[in-house]
Amino acid sequence: MFAIHIENLVKIYDNRRVLDGVNLDVPEGEFYALMGPNGSGKTTLASIIAAVKTQDSGIVEIYGKKPAQAKEFIGYVPQENFSSPKLSGRENLVYFANLLGYSGSKANQLVTEVLKNVGLSEEADKRVAKYSGGMRKKLEVATAIFPGIKVLILDEPTTGLDPAARRSFFGMVQDIMGRKTSIILITHIGSDAELASKVGLIDSGKMIAEGTPDELKRQHAVEDVITVETAVKTDSVLSVLKGYSINGKVAESEAGYKIYSGNGDRVLADMVRSLDQAGHKVMRIEMARPTLEDVFFRLTERHLQEATG
Amino acid sequence: MRQISAAYAKAVKELLREKAALFWTIAWPIIWILIGSFSFTGSAPQQVVPYIKGSIAISMMVFALMIAGMSNLPASIAGDRANGLLSKLISMPIKPYKDFLGRISAVITLSLLAAALVIVIGIIVGARFTGAGVEIPQAIGFVFLVICASAGVGLITGTLIKNLQGAIMTGVGIAVITSAISGLFFPYEGLPGPLQTFARVYPISSAQASIVHLLAGPDMVAYNPLTFGQMTLTIVLSFALLLIGTVLYSRLGWKLE
Repeated sequence: MFAIHIENLVKIYDNRRVLDGVNLDVPEGEFYALMGPNGSGKTTLASIIAAVKTQDSGIVEIYGKKPAQAKEFIGYVPQENFSSPKLSGRENLVYFANLLGYSGSKANQLVTEVLKNVGLSEEADKRVAKYSGGMRKKLEVATAIFPGIKVLILDEPTTGLDPAARRSFFGMVQDIMGRKTSIILITHIGSDAELASKVGLIDSGKMIAEGTPDELKRQHAVEDVITVETAVKTDSVLSVLKGYSINGKVAESEAGYKIYSGNGDRVLADMVRSLDQAGHKVMRIEMARPTLEDVFFRLTERHLQEATG
Repeated sequence: MRQISAAYAKAVKELLREKAALFWTIAWPIIWILIGSFSFTGSAPQQVVPYIKGSIAISMMVFALMIAGMSNLPASIAGDRANGLLSKLISMPIKPYKDFLGRISAVITLSLLAAALVIVIGIIVGARFTGAGVEIPQAIGFVFLVICASAGVGLITGTLIKNLQGAIMTGVGIAVITSAISGLFFPYEGLPGPLQTFARVYPISSAQASIVHLLAGPDMVAYNPLTFGQMTLTIVLSFALLLIGTVLYSRLGWKLE
């Protein structure tokens, strides 16, 4: 039996199919990342799995039960910060422990244990208003890892966190994985999705690809990724770069341009020369192996951040 | 019971730690007792002044109860919806009515605390009351009607207005405007005819007039709010507001679609 089984799921808002025939299976203990831009339907999917919303058609099962009948297994961490800033971390967790049916010394004991697991023991009695963004998100994950919870749903948990806080956050998530808890991570950040054992890419309500991060890169983005930053962005720069990109595709981003090349090492020097000859000053250029964001671009011809923005 | 007490404990702590809530619910009515007691009693005969102060203290106590129900309660509901707590609660194995009972109990606690403080300050600045026997439990009954009606309006506002600032401002707005036009801030006899009718129909001002009648004496009220018909109207409308609020909250308050 799968921890999560979803079959032909459809959700319609205002005559628009936000989820359009989604299929998904997550075995027990798997860390599954669902990646897609804003408006792709990933948060709607998470909220249906979490029993917050209901589908128009299709099957959603948590350990064989409908989500509304499996709430005791579900640990949902919505995107917004839901912990109370006026209460301390400990008071917040005691509140959730009480809601889950634990009381008195049992609740206090559990809360102490959970605080230790998420690394917040020393900050437990401070008001949440004084927590950093990373600490607050850890606290909110702590509300979803009480005993009995088998499916943890994290909706965009690292939005707004700095790199150090993100590393620390995923260190905690890896500890949780050791307990056979299935984790669904909703994200639009490729580097976050890289940490999952399996990744599903979703766009316009449809699953467009699924596999391990390495499988997805092998299947959909074999090229090297060259990022070029020029002094100015003009059509002329674009035209030079298109000549070096596979299929003439160039992605624009805030940092500059991204092109995809089957032979980055050889192309790099020629490209700099061509830009120089065309009178364009190259401020920065770098080559990297493809990421999951590049996979998304290859599949949709849209850059994930642009689609998100 | 555990879930109700969890929701209650959280809501009470939040209310007592929210400076704006404490200001509007407790400090603001007390400021008006002080202003009213020293500014609006100058031309009155000396022997009546303590009872005018008693009447002002009762009006401000009722205003404190209105703010607790009409502003603090919807702020708590709208805030929890806006910050994602509602999504979190819906995903958990708890029943909406338990959360509702916890919140309402917290508002009642804050209301009673505010009412007690306002009355104590009133007594300190010279307010006196005539009622001492059976009038006190009767007045407490009307205090509960004010709490019911205010909480009903608060539940309606908190359910229908989705954002926190909107819910707070609407609640304060309803409390201030209805107080002004129903004789809570100004003498009933100075209101134009249609507003006098409103003051009798609006269960909060009618309950306030009943409390003043019971505790500060019939001379302090321009009409008799303790007739059978008037009391029935006050009781029925207070519970009707609470019932409408409860139904709306339980049907729509816990839905995010």
